[in-house]
Amino acid sequence: MKRSGLIRDLQAAIGRRWVLHAPEDLLVYEYDATIDRGLPEAVVLPEDARAVARAVGIARNHGVPVTARGAGTGLSGGAIPCEGGVVIVTTRMNRIVELDPDNRIAVVEPGVINLDISRAAAPYGLYYAPDPSSQKACSIGGNVAENAGGPHCLRYGTTTNHVLGLEIVAADGEVLWLGGKTADTPGYDLTGVVVGSEGTLAIVTKVIVRLLHKPETTITLLAIFDAVSQASRAVSAIIGKGMVPAALEMMDKNTMEAVEPFVHAGYPPDAGAVLLIEVEGLKEDAQEQADAVASICRDLNAREIRIGLTQEDQDRLWAGRKGALGALGRLAPSYYILDGVIPRTLLPTVLDGVYEACERFGFRVANVFHAGDGNLHPNVMFDERVPGATQKVLDLGEEIMRLCVDAGGSITGEHGVGYEKRNYMSWIFSEDDLEVMSRLKAAFGASEMFNPGKVFPTSKGCGEVSSRMRAAIAKVGADAYV
Amino acid sequence: MIAQATILDDLSAIVGGKHAYPADESQRFAVDGMTPQAVVEPGSYEEVAAVMRYVSEEGLAVIPLGGGTKRHIGNLPARYDLALSLSRLNQIIEHEPADLTVTCQTGISVPELQRRLDIHGQKVPLDGWLPEQPSVGGVLAANANGPSRPAYGALRDFTIGMRVVTADGRITRAGGKVVKNVAGFDLCKLYIGSLGTLGVIVEATFKVMPVARLQRSVLLSLDTPGDACALAADLYRRGLALSHVQLSGAGDEAEYSWLLEIGVAGSEGAVERSENEVAGLAPGLNAQPAGSDVSSTDPFSGEHFDDSSLLCRFSTPPSRLAAFIGDVQGLESPVVLAEPVTGVVRAAWPETDGAMVLERAREIAARHSATVVVERCSPELKQRIDVFGDPPPAFELMRRVKEQFDPKGILNPGRFVGRL
Repeated sequence: MKRSGLIRDLQAAIGRRWVLHAPEDLLVYEYDATIDRGLPEAVVLPEDARAVARAVGIARNHGVPVTARGAGTGLSGGAIPCEGGVVIVTTRMNRIVELDPDNRIAVVEPGVINLDISRAAAPYGLYYAPDPSSQKACSIGGNVAENAGGPHCLRYGTTTNHVLGLEIVAADGEVLWLGGKTADTPGYDLTGVVVGSEGTLAIVTKVIVRLLHKPETTITLLAIFDAVSQASRAVSAIIGKGMVPAALEMMDKNTMEAVEPFVHAGYPPDAGAVLLIEVEGLKEDAQEQADAVASICRDLNAREIRIGLTQEDQDRLWAGRKGALGALGRLAPSYYILDGVIPRTLLPTVLDGVYEACERFGFRVANVFHAGDGNLHPNVMFDERVPGATQKVLDLGEEIMRLCVDAGGSITGEHGVGYEKRNYMSWIFSEDDLEVMSRLKAAFGASEMFNPGKVFPTSKGCGEVSSRMRAAIAKVGADAYV
Repeated sequence: MIAQATILDDLSAIVGGKHAYPADESQRFAVDGMTPQAVVEPGSYEEVAAVMRYVSEEGLAVIPLGGGTKRHIGNLPARYDLALSLSRLNQIIEHEPADLTVTCQTGISVPELQRRLDIHGQKVPLDGWLPEQPSVGGVLAANANGPSRPAYGALRDFTIGMRVVTADGRITRAGGKVVKNVAGFDLCKLYIGSLGTLGVIVEATFKVMPVARLQRSVLLSLDTPGDACALAADLYRRGLALSHVQLSGAGDEAEYSWLLEIGVAGSEGAVERSENEVAGLAPGLNAQPAGSDVSSTDPFSGEHFDDSSLLCRFSTPPSRLAAFIGDVQGLESPVVLAEPVTGVVRAAWPETDGAMVLERAREIAARHSATVVVERCSPELKQRIDVFGDPPPAFELMRRVKEQFDPKGILNPGRFVGRL
């Protein structure tokens, strides 16, 4: 069937206004915060699950795939329609349907912005814990698809630990509920597998999230070290002592250099690394933990420890971390954000390996990451105008992923596999492991219906578009997050 | 159907004669009165896989078993040829205390795992139900979370990896060994609570946590479940250092006694402060201290309740818990054990006309938007009911999952939701 037929059917089902098909409109939806691109044939903005179901049915009839898109802040190409087809944008599905403070849950549509849930819950002393750095912009639907994390996931877990149920549109267009509002629901935990399935199993149209009480006391510490090795030893020591702070973040010298002119955080110009540590809980527990953390840092030669007890002071200590990625844009024309995980005890050695590899490849790297759970984010700076630089930086990325896997870790901690890393999946999973995962896809009847080309290794590329677009790695500006 | 002698010969060839034997009369491997033809105890993952390839080829129905403490959960088996005991797979594979992770085989008992972790001042946040010795695998398969769930999370939160032998005998991995990992579908979630119907979980990796420096309990006696739930909600809202809050009730039509057990754990300062706040709030609710003789035994273990009892597990919205308990209490006065923070309640009727009570209990649950699972009842009643109640909305999808993972229907056939 022709594209014009697809568009006509979508217009009839969703309304003309909510179907985009002009080339200049479609261009906006061909990318996210990653380096890959793919042009959809049509973009629809449905208002509810029934409209999503109609769009899915039409795409099916026309034999084209469907890719869901939230705010487009993803870092693994999750929202990119690698094989064209229909992009379903959840922007209009942005209602908080229900907020039940007594049962500490909220039912929200997928287009709701992460931070808006916490804002709505704040009057009840509640909040939604997962806090991707993009939380002012990213949508809960995208968070669910990617099982998004964030600094405070060290203590509270990622998105999957806070989702109780989902309304989905399945590949056959059926709208159904998985899980529910209660702690236990009979049957297989299908909610648990749809979260993090990167949009390949179903389109999520409602999310039941768990809300937490705000902690009584929060203490933020910023520990400044001369060398990264000291800071990473401190991380290992804190975790090794059995302490799990709410957040435990690291920034290295290159990151601080980039941040300082903007944020004026007061990082000493010759410091090698800082740790940002947050402890929460009853004031008695928080204080004790803060003291213990400070003492470990001092024993490992922290040259200075700053403590934030008020919200204002804490915001100041966090400002450098939160503005880090945007500021990095100053240091190089482009940079490539990596996401890997290692056992926390191996932090010092693997970080050494990362710096060594970057030096060998001739790239500067800025490390700003969730050190407490071993989730590395090396940001490799390069200039895409230099011939061959793009391929070289991708090769470096592959080598760093290898370091993580060889250390017993994973190829992604929170950004997802997406398109870029699907061929690394076979480094950590056997053919049998992947075959079992594909059975789940078969059970959902999804095969290549939803977000094709993602997660699983395949020889098929993100079209011919991909190789061309890969050569033009996107410039990431001040609104980038990690 | 192949002869028992042949099955034993074939299995002996895989695991050695000592580890394949006819199920004895001791009922150790009986499930709802059904006894298998044979018991097999593989000593390695490869042997589990070989056994599964064999049963898959022969079309035998197999029930994986650990400590056997959760056999009463689930529907009647449609068939039961072989008990696959994981008791020999009881090793800790890897424990790196400084990484706060542990990997163990699933035949290890929860108390044994805890004992081994305790040497390093750590634990898995699993509640031990002494004197029973549930295996790690059994607890995972049954998704048996205890009262510490609000404080430390549920199994699905702290299980980060698994090795699972598939129905057709392949050793597969799900998740990994690092605490944060989003690579691939999160199959661990699928296996947890699947009651051994999708694969045989042979290894699991958990996040561990330090044992609290101080762990104490406060026991209060209260007049009504409403007071107890209000107190629990208040304590939780204050963010006190609670390890668990559990409400138990028993009595007759004339009088019920309610006990609220509040576990406090953490630093000295936090524990003391928490205890003080409990003490400060208690009088307002007419709550009386009831000593500190806290029992760590499961009041619903087989010791106290056998298959002539009816034991139901409800999951209510926490805001409805008190009203729900009130209604259930009026239904032939069951013994009640509730977690006010999660809204999970178990109620047991020692001797009863199970069918009538169950029907009314389900009505009450529906009224309060609660889910119900029958955890224990007589085999006669089991023949007439689905212990999971009406199939959930996504049942058709669940059926397709089962079909994909166990196309021949050999893993625990008939026992799961909708008799999958």
